[in-house]
Amino acid sequence: MSTTHSHAPLEESPLTEFEVLELAVRELAIEKGLFSADDHRRFSEWAEARTYTVGSRMTARSWLDPAFKERLLSNGTETSKEVGVDWLQPTGQGTPSDYTFFYVLENTPKVHNVIVCTLCSCYPRPVLGMSPDWYRTPNYRRRMVRWPRQVLAEFGLHLPPDVEVRVHDSNQKSRFMVMPMRPEGTDGWNEDQLAAIVTRDCLIGVALPRADVTASQVPKQPKGRSGGKKR
Amino acid sequence: MSGGNRPYDVLMSTLGDVEERTSADLVCGERTPAPWESAMQATCECLSSGGTLDNLERRQAEDRLGESVYARFPVHTRSALIVAHSLMDRDVITEEELRAKMKEVRARLEMV
Repeated sequence: MSTTHSHAPLEESPLTEFEVLELAVRELAIEKGLFSADDHRRFSEWAEARTYTVGSRMTARSWLDPAFKERLLSNGTETSKEVGVDWLQPTGQGTPSDYTFFYVLENTPKVHNVIVCTLCSCYPRPVLGMSPDWYRTPNYRRRMVRWPRQVLAEFGLHLPPDVEVRVHDSNQKSRFMVMPMRPEGTDGWNEDQLAAIVTRDCLIGVALPRADVTASQVPKQPKGRSGGKKR
Repeated sequence: MSGGNRPYDVLMSTLGDVEERTSADLVCGERTPAPWESAMQATCECLSSGGTLDNLERRQAEDRLGESVYARFPVHTRSALIVAHSLMDRDVITEEELRAKMKEVRARLEMV
């Protein structure tokens, strides 16, 4: 192992009573055989590995299956089970433990939905994974509810004036996911193809899916601005 | 005397370590979640999975006790408080055991 590096030493942060309490409760539970340290580690690993692909799958299936879409819009919590997410009995599916009601918000030609948590950073983790850093910033949380069009424009999303923007504020009990409209150029696509273009940001509501964009492809080099003077 | 709808002393003693909640709202401000919070969440799942403390029951207890017995604590501490409170209420662990374990853990983590 190399011992020569230029990083600054880790800053010592004081031990907190809640750090101690958490570990004490966990260790007592393990000692009493309620679960094992490996159970705990495995759950943590599983939960942190969740991604937005469940939300992508739900959306793609909704585009192809009107009956599924109807079920999802009318009862998101229950219909999530069809894609392997049980919000009420999360363990086993490995979802975080927040008991919540899950609502899917359908975009239409006249309504665009976007989600936020002004309170802190509530996020539908079982279907979208961990929230992006910007979602948790005061900048996004405070401004999205006041000036949604301005904030959406900062993400490059410019909506026509006749499209109503609805901002949905998550709370302790409710989580939301946006169901974007199916884009042009996707006729005849199967569920896998469609799911690939439903990126995380589309499900939050700060972007729209496009037939030529998937989250896994490297963004194209911007055209037309070299930054240098033309000779 | 503690438990039920009264606070446990061992839990109240942690209050000095967090910024006391001064209003009735649920705002958790600009704080970044600490690593112990996700570890606590995993503990909640393990306890629910094993049938010791159901998640929904815990969440309801968090709402009830968090707004009454432990109202002075910030919202993000509720899961730890209520899990510990519930386990003591159900005689899964005792207050003495928890106090002793916290002392042991603290000593271990503070060891240089």
